[in-house]
Amino acid sequence: MDFSFTEEQEMLRDGVGKYLEKNYDFETRQALVRSEEPWSQKAWQQFAEFGLLALPFAEEQGGLGGSISDCVAVAELFGKHLVIEPYAASIMLAGAALAASDDGPAQDWLEKVIAGEAIAAFAYEEGAGTAAPDMVAMIAEPVGDAFTLTGEKRLVVAGGEADCLIVVARRGEDGPLGVFLVEKTAQRMEARSYTTIDGRSAANIRFDATPATLLDGAEAALDRILAHAIIVQSAEAVGAMGALLALTSDYAMTRKQFGVPIGTFQAVAHRLADMKIAYTKARATLLYTTAMAESGAVKPRDIAILKGQVGKLGKAVGEAAIQTHGGVGMTDELSVSHYHKRLLACDAMFGSHDYHLRVVGQG
Amino acid sequence: MNIDFAPELEDFRAQVAEFFATAPTPAIREAGRKTTSVFAPFKECMEWHRILYDKGWVAPHWPEEYGGTGWSVEQRFIFAEEYRKADLPPLLPQSLGMVGPLLIDIGTEEQKAKYLEPILKGEDFWAQGYSEPNSGSDLASLSCRAEPDGDDYIINGSKIWTTYAHHANRMFMLVRTSNEGKKQQGITFLLLDRVDYPGMEIRPIVGLDGFPEQCEVFFEDCRVPQSGRVGEENDGWSVAKHLLKHERGGGNAASPTLMRYCERARAAAAETLSPFGGKLSEDPVFQRDIGELEADIASLAHFEKLAISGHEIARDPAFPSMNKTINSELVQRASTLMAQVSGVDGLARQLEALRVGSNVEPLGSEFDLISMPLYLNSRATTIYAGSNEVQRDLIARTVAGS
Ligand SMILES: Cc1cc2nc3c(=O)[nH]c(=O)nc-3n(C[C@H](O)[C@H](O)[C@H](O)COP(=O)(O)OP(=O)(O)OC[C@H]3O[C@@H](n4cnc5c(N)ncnc54)[C@H](O)[C@@H]3O)c2cc1C
Repeated sequence: MDFSFTEEQEMLRDGVGKYLEKNYDFETRQALVRSEEPWSQKAWQQFAEFGLLALPFAEEQGGLGGSISDCVAVAELFGKHLVIEPYAASIMLAGAALAASDDGPAQDWLEKVIAGEAIAAFAYEEGAGTAAPDMVAMIAEPVGDAFTLTGEKRLVVAGGEADCLIVVARRGEDGPLGVFLVEKTAQRMEARSYTTIDGRSAANIRFDATPATLLDGAEAALDRILAHAIIVQSAEAVGAMGALLALTSDYAMTRKQFGVPIGTFQAVAHRLADMKIAYTKARATLLYTTAMAESGAVKPRDIAILKGQVGKLGKAVGEAAIQTHGGVGMTDELSVSHYHKRLLACDAMFGSHDYHLRVVGQG
Repeated sequence: MNIDFAPELEDFRAQVAEFFATAPTPAIREAGRKTTSVFAPFKECMEWHRILYDKGWVAPHWPEEYGGTGWSVEQRFIFAEEYRKADLPPLLPQSLGMVGPLLIDIGTEEQKAKYLEPILKGEDFWAQGYSEPNSGSDLASLSCRAEPDGDDYIINGSKIWTTYAHHANRMFMLVRTSNEGKKQQGITFLLLDRVDYPGMEIRPIVGLDGFPEQCEVFFEDCRVPQSGRVGEENDGWSVAKHLLKHERGGGNAASPTLMRYCERARAAAAETLSPFGGKLSEDPVFQRDIGELEADIASLAHFEKLAISGHEIARDPAFPSMNKTINSELVQRASTLMAQVSGVDGLARQLEALRVGSNVEPLGSEFDLISMPLYLNSRATTIYAGSNEVQRDLIARTVAGS
């Protein structure tokens, strides 16, 4: 058994980490979030150059044949730097769905996505914290060889900017799930874009008999795609937790009240200890689950354990970090509150910890 | 023992409810529904303040001779209950709840004559300048300095977290006037009758919810009259301690607000899909979560009712700290539940739609619009007015001493 990152993974982390240290410090990130740009094109191109956009895809598809642990190794850094580029959405979800289908258009789009020439987005959520595919209610009506979609998808990360959308819907009432491709230019579709509390660009998208193409084969891969995206998103959350632990312990050891560092008060010291325990547990579960996924042994219950634990522990770490910082923790100026908002968003997407812990409880 | 309010109080309740149903303007109602902090949107809040003033109901807790209502504690509680039920913007505490009662208790006749009426009328709004960048929980370590010079003080230093100072026209503050002896003994309590003195600058701080609520206040050789002093020079700590009784004191009936949050969460849950199918309100886990919360809120309500009945519970030296701790943590739990009900719909940052009078449609419901900002803002309840760690130390001392 070995749960460490390999030498190659450490090298990749080193390169990406150095780039982010230099070009994605908190101030730069804040300027980006406040700008009109949904994210940094430059950073996205740089990710392409590092091979990150090609990482999870098979070599014969133009990818690098990377594993889930390669993606996790990088995603922790994304969390540490509060990266707003839509990696999980465009690569792990929409990209993976394109890769899962042999259809021509899917392959063409995938090529562009890998090259950083197109953005694909994944339209899944319907407002109930739709974690399990069998809860997807949106219906695709067959019209000749094609389909039309009607209804609304919410919190589609990068949905307003995407060149193509990957939409999960049901093939007729009570029918099997299908994964559909909708091009940006499609008729009868309306996106309302917004920024999420954690600085990402998202959209709620209304479809009204919008023409869509079924991506053959992608449906069968849906569970694995979601599982891998949840792992990557959890890695982002764990990266954010680690950053919060470091920031908060530094602060507690330098901030003085009553003539001593606040970290010397037992109430504060014990909270730091709890934060460390929470982070360590979450990271252990992340790395173990990643290894299981890599060896093909991961079960839906393991994914639910990961998502539940990271969501719950992450929220606790964020809240503890704010409390320990006192008034400054309540400001927009410090990164602390932004880490917390990232953790809240990671928790809410693809089923909150409440949902996943109950799935675990169902056995 | 008897739990009932006297029957004539029901008439009183009806009269209060009737007024709340008819008097507020639509903008004031909107401000009430969109209040995502203990501090309501300023403009509409002050408009509502003036309506209550005209009715004679703006300061129920003040003595009648100073403009109070002369109501019993039960009437005040009923008033608070109806107020919360109507989702009206809470009045701002600094003037009516802090500096006003303080001046009534220990201000000079001139100070009372000058300041009380404009507070009641809502013409003045006071900011509270206590905290400093290096003096939070350890407030007595404050260092913003006031040097006597003729009839004036010259102030140098800064204050922080001063809520709504950017809306205020007056400010009460603590300054250091001596470095001799214990740190508590060199502090003076000052009233500033303007906030635009030369050498004084106010800068808003944007909070984690995206709104400027607190401020930083800078003083550079800022000359203010000594006549604004309350109490003796270097005796400001005992003045501040006196005021603290008003800030942390009981009788402010938090439970009706908390119950309102639960009612709103229940109503939203009845419209929200559960991730397991059906409506969230039918989901047994939601029912258990909200049940646990409501039971705790009920206990707070019982605790508050015992206190207003004059029960010895309110004379416990730990009462203010217990009240603050229970209340602040319940606000956090209630808003956590609200954000949970909103789920992904709470993740959109919608600052513009939250503004009173905005014509931007919220993405989800109005409940979804407020739940996340309320959750984020409520992280502060366990920090301000004496952090809960500090309160627990105070409570622990009364346990150890019993
Ligand atoms: C929303 C908001 C509104 C406010 N409004 C005002 C206002 O209008 N006017 C004003 O003057 N101030 C105001 N404050 C300031 C508030 O009173 C301070 O934030 C508070 O006193 C805590 O100080 P601090 O932020 O410096 O935190 P610190 O004192 O630095 O505390 C940081 C952490 O250390 C812990 N800690 C500190 N000392 C101890 C101890 N002895 N034992 C155990 N733990 C300890 C705290 O509990 C906290 O978790 C406001 C603050 C907020 C957040």
